[in-house]
Amino acid sequence: MRNQLLKFRRSAEQSLLGGMALASLTAACIWLVLGPAPEVADYLIAVALLFALFLALLIVMHLVGSTHKQMEAALASRASAERRAIQALRESEAQWKEVFEHNPVMYFMVDADGIVLSVNTFGAAQLGYRVDELRGQSVSKVFFEADRDAVGQSVEICLADIGQTHSWEIRKVRKDGSALWVRENAKAVRRQDNHLIVLIACEDITEHKEAENALRQSGNYLAEAQRLSRTGSFGWRVITGEIIWSDETFRIFGFDKAPSVALDRIIQRIHPDDRAGAQQTIDRASSDGKDFDHEYRLLMPDGSVRYVHATAHAVTDASEGIEFVGAVTDVTARRQAEEKLHEAQAELAHVTRVTALGELAASIAHEVNQPLAALVANAAAAQRWLDRDTPNLQEARNALVSIIDDGNRAGDVVQRVRGLVSKNTDQKVSLDINEIVNEVIALLHRELLSHRISLRTKLTPAPGVVLGDRVQLQQVILNLIVNSIEAMQPVTGRPRELVIRTQQEEAQQILVAVTDCGVGLTAENANRVFDAFFSTKSGGMGMGLSICRSIVESHGGRLSACGNGGLGATFQFSLPIHREDNTP
Amino acid sequence: MTGRSTSPRNAASQEEPIIYVVDDDASVRDALRNLFRSVGLRVEVFGSGSEFLQSRHPDVASCLILDIRLPRLSGLDFQVELAKAGIHIPIIFMTGHGDIPMTVRAMKAGAVDFLTKPFRDQDMLDAVTAAIERDRTSRNEARILADLHAHFATLTAREREIMALVTSGLMNKQIAAEIGIAEITVKIHRGHIMRKMAAKSLADLVKMAQTLDIQRAAPPQ
Repeated sequence: MRNQLLKFRRSAEQSLLGGMALASLTAACIWLVLGPAPEVADYLIAVALLFALFLALLIVMHLVGSTHKQMEAALASRASAERRAIQALRESEAQWKEVFEHNPVMYFMVDADGIVLSVNTFGAAQLGYRVDELRGQSVSKVFFEADRDAVGQSVEICLADIGQTHSWEIRKVRKDGSALWVRENAKAVRRQDNHLIVLIACEDITEHKEAENALRQSGNYLAEAQRLSRTGSFGWRVITGEIIWSDETFRIFGFDKAPSVALDRIIQRIHPDDRAGAQQTIDRASSDGKDFDHEYRLLMPDGSVRYVHATAHAVTDASEGIEFVGAVTDVTARRQAEEKLHEAQAELAHVTRVTALGELAASIAHEVNQPLAALVANAAAAQRWLDRDTPNLQEARNALVSIIDDGNRAGDVVQRVRGLVSKNTDQKVSLDINEIVNEVIALLHRELLSHRISLRTKLTPAPGVVLGDRVQLQQVILNLIVNSIEAMQPVTGRPRELVIRTQQEEAQQILVAVTDCGVGLTAENANRVFDAFFSTKSGGMGMGLSICRSIVESHGGRLSACGNGGLGATFQFSLPIHREDNTP
Repeated sequence: MTGRSTSPRNAASQEEPIIYVVDDDASVRDALRNLFRSVGLRVEVFGSGSEFLQSRHPDVASCLILDIRLPRLSGLDFQVELAKAGIHIPIIFMTGHGDIPMTVRAMKAGAVDFLTKPFRDQDMLDAVTAAIERDRTSRNEARILADLHAHFATLTAREREIMALVTSGLMNKQIAAEIGIAEITVKIHRGHIMRKMAAKSLADLVKMAQTLDIQRAAPPQ
């Protein structure tokens, strides 16, 4: 066809040139016939003309021929260029199509009604469809029922804001029902035909999303675990003073959540009584960069008190300096439970103390009545000395001196008993253990006598000071002595001897030992006697020694018992010696 | 302890009575001593029962004030010891605490009174006065009985026989017939008996015979 066209062109040029030569010949003939007479002979002119014409014709023919050749060459190159361009275009189109179809991004083109105009193969394949299964379908097909409204709204937003790119993350559903997370970038454009379409590019972010979800879930678990365990975490970069808290830490301190917290603010929340101690711990940690662990109370704005236990691990970084990573636990419930337990124990101790005193009532009444009887008798005597016809003032005065002594003596006994009956215990003060032993002996003097027990005391001179509650320690000693008295009850035919000993051990502790020669103690019972409700006595409640042990332990000491091999048993306890520089 | 020798019997009732106090508590002892001295009573105090037992006790009206809860030897045990030792003395018990069983035991064993410490001085003085009076009476009775026995001991066998018959209500003549002696002899014996027994009348002698439990059926050898 192309060749035919070229032939046709060539013949057209030849006809044109032939026509032009004929026209020139005709014009020359006409000029010869009708024009002015030439000077030379007409035929010469005509011949010349004809010759010229012929020459011209030859030249023109040649020119036409070469032009024709050139034209043909130009035409041929143009056609090949065209062919190449078309080829290139085809290749480019195929390439782009390839890119469009297989780029690992899902492309959707939907119309304003949400009908899929086109989708790339990758996109369709990602969703488990063929392209033709999606084209012409509503795009909502690839979304979960629950998300469809959101999809519609997003498309609306794009349509309302033509040309602007919007992006969002959403789940898509595959043909097999499985889900994948995508980030969609979309924008609405107006087509030449004035129709609005929405172009959407979706990137599969399922893995990212899963990782993110896993992270969030782990974060949630952590937060939940922190909430449940009432343990918050914190980070503290010493150089910058930056403190980062977890939500639970904020909750424990009762602060609103913030990116970071100032140390001053934390210190202010600490109970005034604990503030100095906490500050000291923090200062020490910031200077020596060592792990720390402390407990303090928080005074909340509503006046309530929280007990907090904080522990931190130091992480040293060459560039960042010291950083502490730690945990803060709200131990209020535990502390309160401990306090309740402590109260219950104190109550029980009080009850057993009062019970013990009740059992000693006769002896104690005697202890009080002795001086009272003496006092009354002396007073009566004084009265009678004065009522004589000649009053005997010296005798009356002597009687009064005795009255004062008797009154003080009775008062002392009452004081001791009242102390033991007192509920107000747990006041730790510096005590001389010998003094406590002697006070108890004074109270039990009569009881020992009436049981015909001879008492020997071997008290170490000037023992170290112990830190303790007077009443509680008296209770322990009282209990041990009363037990010994009871243990010696069945003893006949040999002396009943009780030995009370105090002894300093290695400058660290004071030992108090009560040794009797009573029924003794088997090795098996030596440990069990301290169990609650265990009693070797028929009338015993079995609480006495159990309470004694808890009292001694609360003083940082140990209470133990052992048989004496032959006769009797020894109950002894040790207490740490208190030094002023000892920080409890 | 007292440093006094036993007083002559006939002077006993007039002698100053003694109050003994046994208490292990020195202040109580001293207070009681002070109280009794202030009312002019003689008092001896002891820290324990054994101390009291070791001391000498003049035969004068006396009483013992004893703490029931004495160490080692309790008041009640001490009461038994005293009885064993043949010391009969009214005991006033003191206790610091009203022990019913102890009180019962003490009273059964012959305690005259029981005072709970602290006691009113007047109660103590009243108890002591009553106890001393009681002791005085019993001492007098004992003394009379002892005199009677002494008088009786001076009688001869024949006199004792006749005394039994006289006090059983027999006439001199009946007695003479009974034992086969002359009536006049009986009369002489009877005169001796009345004198030796310091009897003022026959009725007096009959009473003495009753006290001495002399019976005709079982005449003394």
